[in-house]
Amino acid sequence: MLRTLMRRKLRTLLTVLGITVGIWALMVMGAMANKLTALVDGGSSYFDNKIVVTDATNPAFGFGNVPMPVEVVERVGRIPDIAVAAARVSFLLDPDNTGSGFSAPDFVIGFRAGFDQGYETFRSELAQGRYTTLEDEGRRVVLLGADLARKFDAGPGDAFSIHGEEFEVIGVLEPLLMFFDTTAIIPWTAAQELLVQNEALEFEGGTDIPVLTSMVIAYPEPGADFRAIMRDIGEALPQTRTVTGEDFDDQFGSTIAIFNAIILSVALISIVVGGLSVINTMTMSVAERTREIGIKRAIGASRGLIMRELVLEAGLMGFIGGLVGLGLAALVVYSANDAGKTSGTVLFLLTPWIGTLGVAFSTLLGAVAGALPAWNAARLDPVEALRYG
Amino acid sequence: MAFLEAHNLHKTYRLTRSNHVRAMRGVDVTVEAGEMVGIMGPSGCGKSTLMHILGLLHAPDLDAAPPPSLAIDGLDVTTLTDRKRTQMRAERMGFVFQAFNLVSTLTTVENVALPAEYAGRRRRDALAAALEALRLVGLEDWAEHRPMELSGGQQQRAAIARALVTQPDLLLADEPTGNLDSENTAEVMALLHWFNRERGQTIVLVTHDTRVSEACSRVLTMQDGVIINGRQTEVA
Ligand SMILES: Nc1ncnc2c1ncn2[C@@H]1O[C@H](COP(=O)(O)OP(=O)(O)OP(=O)(O)O)[C@@H](O)[C@H]1O
Ligand SMILES: [Mg+2]
Repeated sequence: MLRTLMRRKLRTLLTVLGITVGIWALMVMGAMANKLTALVDGGSSYFDNKIVVTDATNPAFGFGNVPMPVEVVERVGRIPDIAVAAARVSFLLDPDNTGSGFSAPDFVIGFRAGFDQGYETFRSELAQGRYTTLEDEGRRVVLLGADLARKFDAGPGDAFSIHGEEFEVIGVLEPLLMFFDTTAIIPWTAAQELLVQNEALEFEGGTDIPVLTSMVIAYPEPGADFRAIMRDIGEALPQTRTVTGEDFDDQFGSTIAIFNAIILSVALISIVVGGLSVINTMTMSVAERTREIGIKRAIGASRGLIMRELVLEAGLMGFIGGLVGLGLAALVVYSANDAGKTSGTVLFLLTPWIGTLGVAFSTLLGAVAGALPAWNAARLDPVEALRYG
Repeated sequence: MAFLEAHNLHKTYRLTRSNHVRAMRGVDVTVEAGEMVGIMGPSGCGKSTLMHILGLLHAPDLDAAPPPSLAIDGLDVTTLTDRKRTQMRAERMGFVFQAFNLVSTLTTVENVALPAEYAGRRRRDALAAALEALRLVGLEDWAEHRPMELSGGQQQRAAIARALVTQPDLLLADEPTGNLDSENTAEVMALLHWFNRERGQTIVLVTHDTRVSEACSRVLTMQDGVIINGRQTEVA
């Protein structure tokens, strides 16, 4: 069978190439969507069990966190059904880089270790080193997200510069596929100092700056009505904005939906283009082999057998196209991810699942597209077919 | 009952609604097992049409009166389904054509093995049977060659090996020497004759060549879609 494909090298090559391009595009887009979905899922599951309170001038999940006086934390904590409310400082690692395209920008966040009092359900894991503890308060130490560590090639013991101040890396997190990957976590005190420094610069040397926080992380009691609590917070603190996991989905889910629609269109186009080119090739192949099919039928090949041969041949074209497409996609994804490493933008996530699905899809596509010409071939009158050519 | 019995075979090709070609107009044939029957007649008289019907590649007109009948080895095959006719062709018939009709992408031995595979033999067994058949026609050294590398006479001998690889009940050959020079014609006929005499192979062949028909035990002559006479030769 491979032999019959080899016989018509150029045409087979072009057909396989058509499938290859389709599958390649599909996989690259799929890898991108996969990464995005993972990011959104990670973010969504992170925000699921908490309500984040920020200054009302902030965009939801926005990056330009305008600080609030730290008293807000206490006032949020007094709202009924709130179990724990804690302060968190958050600012951009590089104020000029607010993130590009689909990736979250690099962040610095600061909080007191153990602030969640056991309410946090989002689990992270250490790749190296250790987490920050309360003993670190007053020290300049930092725990790096996976992408950030990779970008700066930093590990435990290395120096890490934040806004001109030197910090010592004490640990690196495993990749979490959410914004923690591009986040540097420092103790509350150090974060507070840096925040005041930032604000002082902006307020032209103001001296009596209160203790500030960028946001309040509030954990409602289990089973509490999040929306009701958020309404209560809004009433008690009109100058704030509240968001939770659902809002995250609303905001980023639509981006993902658009992206998935694009992927679906690419898939459809590749079905049509790849399918038509397989149909075309197989139709020509059948026409060329009419006589051969007549011979085989005359000496006893069943219709099913003729059909099986041709469908398998078409499926093989799809399979090879898919495999080459996967190879090319892997090449693009890995080199793009490699190039993106320095900027911390890892755009693609090509899983074995996408690869297997893509190759299976293109094999099936080939076989299905080959079925019609094969069916026509199997129904030929052997006597007519023998007279041919 | 004879090995093959056909009665009142008609075949009408419908070209258009009003344009019909009546290629056969009531043919009766009987072939005994072990016979070698030659069919002769002018071009267009319906010889190939008859071979297609005897070979179960086409069905006779079923609306003829009295209704046609075709029995092979006591089995009525007049109205078999395509699947059953295909199976009969694979298991019980061998075909040799004027144009040798080997599959160009396969080696000689793979070509010869095809009917055995279609008859349900495992590939390894089919290839072994094919090698044996090639040995009988003197082509064992050409097993791994492509048909293109063989001479016309060799290709036709390979086609005979292919037709006989399943040891079929009936060998049908439509002008098997039509594309061969006299030397190769003699060789092919000697081969067919040998299979008929030594192996008791039943053969029906169409020819224009009187030297070919002389090798047959009986010759039928067709004209305008009917058989006009049958000559019984003395079998030496
Ligand atoms: N598929 C077909 N469609 C229409 N007419 C056909 C078809 N096959 C054969 N015929 C016609 O039927 C008649 C008998 O044809 P057939 O091929 O049986 O003749 P033949 O005796 O084998 O001739 P030759 O010696 O030239 O091979 C001819 O008039 C031919 O034109
Ligand atoms: Mg003819």
